Amino acid sequence: MSGFKQLDKLSGAAGATALLLLAAAPLVFPGTYLIGVLTVAAIYGIWAVSWDFMSGLTGRENFGHSLFIGVGAYAAGFLNVQMELGPWWSLPVSMLLAMGFAVLLGFPTLRLKGPYFALAMLSAAVIMQRLMLIFWEHTGGEEGIQDIAPLIRNHLHYYWFVLALLGVITFLLGWLARSRWGLILRAIRGDEATCLAAGIPITTYKIVSLVISAAFAGLGGALYAHYQLQVSPQLFAVVTSVTIITMVYVGGMGTIFGPVGGALLLTLLTEGLRNVGEWRLMVYSVLLILIIFFLPDGVIAPLWRRLRVAVGGKP
Amino acid sequence: MEILIYGAVTSAIYAMLAVGFTLIFGVARVLNLAHGSFYALGAYGTYVGTGILGLPLWQAAVLAIAFVALFGVIVEKVLIRPLRYSQLGVLMITLAVSLVVEQALFLIFGSEYRNVPAFIDTKLSIGGVDVAGQRLLTLLVAVVSIGALYLFIQRTRLGSAILAISQDAEAAKYMGIPSDRIFSLVMAISASLAALAGVLAGPFLSVQPSMHLLPIVKAFAIVIVGGLGSIPGSILAALMLGYAETLVAYLVSTSWTEIVSVLATLLMLVFRPAGFFGKRAAF
Repeated sequence: MSGFKQLDKLSGAAGATALLLLAAAPLVFPGTYLIGVLTVAAIYGIWAVSWDFMSGLTGRENFGHSLFIGVGAYAAGFLNVQMELGPWWSLPVSMLLAMGFAVLLGFPTLRLKGPYFALAMLSAAVIMQRLMLIFWEHTGGEEGIQDIAPLIRNHLHYYWFVLALLGVITFLLGWLARSRWGLILRAIRGDEATCLAAGIPITTYKIVSLVISAAFAGLGGALYAHYQLQVSPQLFAVVTSVTIITMVYVGGMGTIFGPVGGALLLTLLTEGLRNVGEWRLMVYSVLLILIIFFLPDGVIAPLWRRLRVAVGGKP
Repeated sequence: MEILIYGAVTSAIYAMLAVGFTLIFGVARVLNLAHGSFYALGAYGTYVGTGILGLPLWQAAVLAIAFVALFGVIVEKVLIRPLRYSQLGVLMITLAVSLVVEQALFLIFGSEYRNVPAFIDTKLSIGGVDVAGQRLLTLLVAVVSIGALYLFIQRTRLGSAILAISQDAEAAKYMGIPSDRIFSLVMAISASLAALAGVLAGPFLSVQPSMHLLPIVKAFAIVIVGGLGSIPGSILAALMLGYAETLVAYLVSTSWTEIVSVLATLLMLVFRPAGFFGKRAAF
């Protein structure tokens, strides 16, 4: 592929080390509690990186990422509980279903300029949440769907499975972002009119990126459903999207690996702040405001850049 | 007959929300996701005034609206203005503000439903249909307030300044119109209209922390259908959506009303993204 830039060794090594450290953490500090927290952190990592691939690169912020997550999770619930299929079916089906929703919503909204996309996605997610409550006979209403079978019974093995998926997805999306494809997405972020003039079908690029992003969000949703063993309408809530967006902002928008770090950092931090309980979402919202104002490039990506220069890498 | 009256009341509430939402967009090019929070704060403000401070209802209502207007101006000055160069920045910051408000309401008042007293408790009978007085009052106040706003914009000097900025912000600046002051004014108007809707609709709709979400979704749908930035467009679209939802509620089931707005939004975005009155007729 032309224009493909090799992932530089330093970043690759750092990523691999981080993955290994995360994989080894439960062995060093045993306990199901830590495994649970890390599993959730890894799933948030998948959600954050999938959000960043579409919205971070093209600059089209998706305020309804929770829609894809919820669709994926409910797909897992339906297949597993109502249709009594094996849990492994959830993964491909949730991805396909989320992709379908992405086409359905992306086609009318991504052709347009301006903020229509962000708002339409926000509305769609709010409405989906309402629908889950309204059609409670099928969706279980406020309680959602219970008794979903686990994918892998051993918690530690499941954690490793999720972590491996996170690694693969991050690598894949990072590679895509560095390829010609990613370059075009960045160009769209910079100036749509110029891209159009250069003969780039920007709408196609944006919709396909949304579909890719949705696929992994849906996959993450299914993984979450099979971890929690239940799904609830709360998955569709705007706060889910905002939590993810905050993670991406902390990590550094458009950097792919940054958001994964942001997700891990924030999940672990908020676990540490468990006793603040109901203040958690407040902390997220205020943090988001502060970062937008004072650190628009995020925290993790700039830190990493500085660190890399310090050890003699390319800036 | 029932459809006629209830549809009109629903439309009136939607119109109050959508007009403010589209006004601030038309003038300042700000898409304010915290607009629903103004509505929520209006309802909660009245609740605090009557339920906790023990004020008479009308005083509580006026105080709540004034408070929300002030809150709107502060949000605009401190948070929105520095980010006005980027529409997405504004979207992010207003979304964050709406969540802060929601969480604050949740932390202070808890998640249970609150009762806001009605101005009129009696029921009136119109053409054989019993309608709560509060609903009729809502309709009346909505018509009067939107009418007054329209006259204000069309007839006064300040109104023509608002119009001028919405047509061409830069040219208006060169003509010596203090655009920042006008933005604050428009924000205050927009916020108080939303708060008024909250005060009036509070007694017969649910008052709880996440109540700001549906109004913003509805306002967005209306504004898309009517055309972003167009006041007559949003009034017309509010009527259409209000009646469409009431019709669907009567003919099909109340479950399906939420679909109406999304369907309308999506269809409109596909076929006529500018809305019925987009761009050309700014007001």
